[in-house]
Amino acid sequence: MTNNNNNNNGKKWVFSEASFEKINGTVNDLCSRLKAHVVIFADMNGYPISFCGDTRRIDMNNLTAVGAGTFSATAEMAHLVHEKQQFKYIYHEGESQNIYLCNVGEDYLMIIVFSKNTAVGMVRALTAHAVKKLSGLLSDLQVEKEKATEFLDDEFRSLLGKELDKSFRF
Amino acid sequence: MHVDPFRQEIIFKIVYYGPGLGGKTTNLDFIHSQINPKLRGELVTLKTKEDRTLYFDFLQLEFGRVNGKKPRFHLYTIPGQVYYGYSRKIILKGADAVVFVADSQSIRMDENWKTLADLEEKLILQNKSLTSFPWVLQYNKRDLPNIESVRALQTKLNFFDVPFHEAMANKGQGVFETLRTAIQLVLAKV
Repeated sequence: MTNNNNNNNGKKWVFSEASFEKINGTVNDLCSRLKAHVVIFADMNGYPISFCGDTRRIDMNNLTAVGAGTFSATAEMAHLVHEKQQFKYIYHEGESQNIYLCNVGEDYLMIIVFSKNTAVGMVRALTAHAVKKLSGLLSDLQVEKEKATEFLDDEFRSLLGKELDKSFRF
Repeated sequence: MHVDPFRQEIIFKIVYYGPGLGGKTTNLDFIHSQINPKLRGELVTLKTKEDRTLYFDFLQLEFGRVNGKKPRFHLYTIPGQVYYGYSRKIILKGADAVVFVADSQSIRMDENWKTLADLEEKLILQNKSLTSFPWVLQYNKRDLPNIESVRALQTKLNFFDVPFHEAMANKGQGVFETLRTAIQLVLAKV
């Protein structure tokens, strides 16, 4: 089984089931060690790949979309001030929670929402460790040649079309 | 597109592109207001104090399980103002389809052309092109005076003979029709 993901260069990567489980394991481990409210591993297009934490209270998709957007904006800031590489992390300090975002290579990022009671230094250190592990996993990925047609069969398309019409009240 | 066979999810990205004040955010506002709240997320808007889109708007739609799979649609708008070119480039990355919201007013034709050219430039950066990329035209603001006829708009903007819809997004007219066409184009292209 595989997890398909179009990275920013338009290539399609495949996570083997074993790699995907390792990614989930790394994300869960980080979440647990930091007692984080949320940890998300996502691609720079804003698709969450693996996440854990308080998914009932926090909308993972919205947070990932805005997080990826924020990260891209800082990449442009790096460009404007003539930095050779994008900034590696962004840190937002709130009243009761903080958010730490960092890149995992050029195409992926992590978002960590954590309590004010957790030391930022610990977040940075443990996240750096997790990023190193994830980078190792990502370097093993292979370029996928197959399309998603197996996943999107004709029956799925037809049923989705009917569902759309129902939801859009046509 | 993002396929997750483990969770049996597939996520599509549809980007609303077009000149500033053309009605892109109004499209998303209407969709958000009309869709069953169980089928959508919150509408995320990153606006300026003047209520203009600063970075993007974002809305997620989902339709429960379809044949055991969970399709989701991520709808983004881009900021139309010329100086937000870099934002547009980022948001367009990974898009599966584009809805080009054109302003039907004669006085806005230059803006429509400039933004369409900008879209093509951004697509070329991704090794794509308007000639083959799935996109749909929406001729918005059909309720205003001094608008171009649909025939004139077809000649002036629809060089590649893509599907089009007339719309009055502020009243919801043509909004879902346009989105449905965009989704159909995405599904046909996969």
